Amino acid sequence: MRIEFTPRQRTLQKELRAYFEQLMTPELRYELSQGTREGGGPEFRKALRQIGADGWISLGWPEALGGQGATPMEQYIFTEEVMRTGFPYPFLTTDAIGPVLAEHGDEEIKRTVLDGILRGEIVIAIGYTEPSAGTDLASLTTRADRDGDDWVINGQKTFTSLADFSDYVWLAARTDPKSKKHRGLSMFLVPSDAEGYSISPIWTLGVRTNATFYDDVRVPAKNLIGGEGNGWGLITGQLNRERLSLVNHGSADMLYREVASWAGATLLPDGSRVIDAHWVQHNLARARVGLEALRLLCWKQAWQMTEGTLQMADASVAKVYGTEFFIELYRLLLEILGQAGTLKQDSPGAILQGKLEFRYRVGSILTFGGGTNEVQRDIVAAAGLGMPRGR
Amino acid sequence: MDFSLSDEQLELQKLARQILLDQTGNERLREIEKEEDRFDEKLWRDLAEAGLLGIGIAEAHGGMDLGFESLCLLIEEIGASVAPVPIVPVLVPTALAIQRFGSEEQARRFLPGVASGETLLTTALIESGNEEFRMPTTKAGRVGAGWILNGSKTCVPFAHRAERVLLAAEMDGGVGVFLLDPHVAGVELRRQQATAGEPQFEVILTDAEIAPDDLLAGPESAASVLGWIEQRSMVAHCAQALGVAECATRMTAQYTSEREQFGVKIATFQAVAQRAADCYVDTQCLRVVTQQAISLLDAERDASEAVAIAKIWAGDVVHRVSHAAQHLHGGIGVDRDYPLFRYCLWAKQLELTQGSSSRLLSGLGERIVAEFRASD
Ligand SMILES: Cc1cc2nc3c(=O)[nH]c(=O)nc-3n(C[C@H](O)[C@H](O)[C@H](O)COP(=O)(O)OP(=O)(O)OC[C@H]3O[C@@H](n4cnc5c(N)ncnc54)[C@H](O)[C@@H]3O)c2cc1C
Repeated sequence: MRIEFTPRQRTLQKELRAYFEQLMTPELRYELSQGTREGGGPEFRKALRQIGADGWISLGWPEALGGQGATPMEQYIFTEEVMRTGFPYPFLTTDAIGPVLAEHGDEEIKRTVLDGILRGEIVIAIGYTEPSAGTDLASLTTRADRDGDDWVINGQKTFTSLADFSDYVWLAARTDPKSKKHRGLSMFLVPSDAEGYSISPIWTLGVRTNATFYDDVRVPAKNLIGGEGNGWGLITGQLNRERLSLVNHGSADMLYREVASWAGATLLPDGSRVIDAHWVQHNLARARVGLEALRLLCWKQAWQMTEGTLQMADASVAKVYGTEFFIELYRLLLEILGQAGTLKQDSPGAILQGKLEFRYRVGSILTFGGGTNEVQRDIVAAAGLGMPRGR
Repeated sequence: MDFSLSDEQLELQKLARQILLDQTGNERLREIEKEEDRFDEKLWRDLAEAGLLGIGIAEAHGGMDLGFESLCLLIEEIGASVAPVPIVPVLVPTALAIQRFGSEEQARRFLPGVASGETLLTTALIESGNEEFRMPTTKAGRVGAGWILNGSKTCVPFAHRAERVLLAAEMDGGVGVFLLDPHVAGVELRRQQATAGEPQFEVILTDAEIAPDDLLAGPESAASVLGWIEQRSMVAHCAQALGVAECATRMTAQYTSEREQFGVKIATFQAVAQRAADCYVDTQCLRVVTQQAISLLDAERDASEAVAIAKIWAGDVVHRVSHAAQHLHGGIGVDRDYPLFRYCLWAKQLELTQGSSSRLLSGLGERIVAEFRASD
């Protein structure tokens, strides 16, 4: 065992930290603070193109697919550094969908969509969830019917995040209405300028997302990616990749540091500092203890992925622990800020630009999104502990 | 970044498991627990014969010299089997400290006997009302070339069988670390009944003599020596706690997969599966923070923060896992005919040994202040 970065990994981390530091210009920070935290604005587009031009986007893709073949450990370091900055990097586009297109797309898809992703010009939304297919995703009913050289798509998706500025939707639809559930699903690339496609906003507690509608949307056959009826494998493969970036320790660690520094600097009327109170120290220590386990679980998982030894239960352990710890963390840190912690960004008196006021509102998404935690615990009990499954 | 065990370590782990599995069955433990001391001398000899007591001891002194990380693998197995042997007190704070800081003569005097299983050693980590290992109230006064000790220590495991008790005492110019022979005049041993059944003693010192060659460290180095000992001992207890938590979780998974109520295995109730899964998640968290602390100490790095974090996790996890395991077992879980109860007792023992979570959190909070407080 040697549980620390190798010199090479440390160098990469330093390089990336400096890189993202200069990327986050005041203009970009301002744009992201103005209601477009998920990206989509001109400064966001500019920065993403820069990242593409500087060759970072294919870092973790397999070399056989034209990527740089970075190990999952190196890819994790990249993710962590991005998360520290708060830049809404489109991980699903770059690291989940990109490599799939590189593997399965035809020449034209590669020339247009894939190159666009690598240049940082294309963002793709994920269209899985439907009003009556959430956790039980395989019951989805949006359908695609073959018509000559085209597929014709009809149905409705909900919570299609980023669809308000994305260039495509990565859509799961049923191509074989006769086969049930997992079988009979296929993946489509639907351009956002396609006729019959429309969106309407959904305003959630935290972020904006969208309902998307597909009314006789026609796409050419080559936009069915990965083979007819192979959708389920692509979806689950992608969800597994997603899980580790969901619980990345980088942004949580930044929040902890910012609150600790604030508490260390802020004077109270009696001349003491916020951090001098024992209960504040206790909260910070609790946060520190929880963060350390998260960091190490993530490191271990990235290392296991690098070695090819990741067990089914391990990914679920990190997902359950990380997502529930985030909620606890926001509480511990908000308590330190006190009632002023409830002030929203740009309010007079807001602390740390109201970051925590925002974070606690989005925190709950992760416990049910990306595979709800009950299902993750079922996986842990079955795969990790060998317990029989119910039903 | 490397979380793997070497082939040698995997072999070692297998060997330890084999010996312990054979000798820590419910019947055997019940037999041992009828005796005055919860100590399996045969098992101790077998561990010695297999070379396992010498994992951390240099070859020159009869050991295998495989390092702290390997030693912790054995300790985890001791936790998982709740074996009635004083592995941690003998091997970690005492033998390792003598090896690292003792004179060549001291090492020669004690270590070969430890490796061969003939010599027991122990460490007095606390005093009554004072859990600061590094700030003892026991006093050492100079007498001729040696010293005399006055004061008391408490909860000292195996003091009655140990050849030496490592302890700290205040002396001229600071603190000293001594190797007390607990069988000399002026030492009174009062047997204590501790929750997990480990033989422990209050050690009352009234002009108890220390020979000149039984000083381990004087005031010039005592602080760093005691810190070194404390960190390793804490992490060893974390490794033991990890074994306890992991095994209690497995027992719970197994029992609930067999027990039926309402015509089904109780494991198929989602509420049961979810709580068992939480034990698994907790145990994985404890595993990684313990591994990090072990890895840093093995490389002789300062690990005080990582050690505190690991022990906080250990205290929290054994508590939660112990009670979840009892709950999911129902009545059988607290029945002394069924083996789970020993894990619950060791859980509480380890939770409160060398710093409860709340106490350590407070210490960690002070470190955070030092890191983040702006100067006035
Ligand atoms: C802000 C936001 C952004 C999103 N972005 C996207 C996106 O970009 N693309 C996309 O496709 N989707 C997206 N989603 C949807 C998200 O993936 C779903 O919310 C998630 O899959 C859960 O589905 P559901 O909301 O229908 O909840 P349900 O499936 O109805 O589940 C609700 C709760 O029921 C319980 N439950 C369900 N199944 C089980 C079970 N088997 N065992 C025990 N308990 C169970 C759990 O407590 C669960 O949390 C987003 C959601 C939000 C809120």
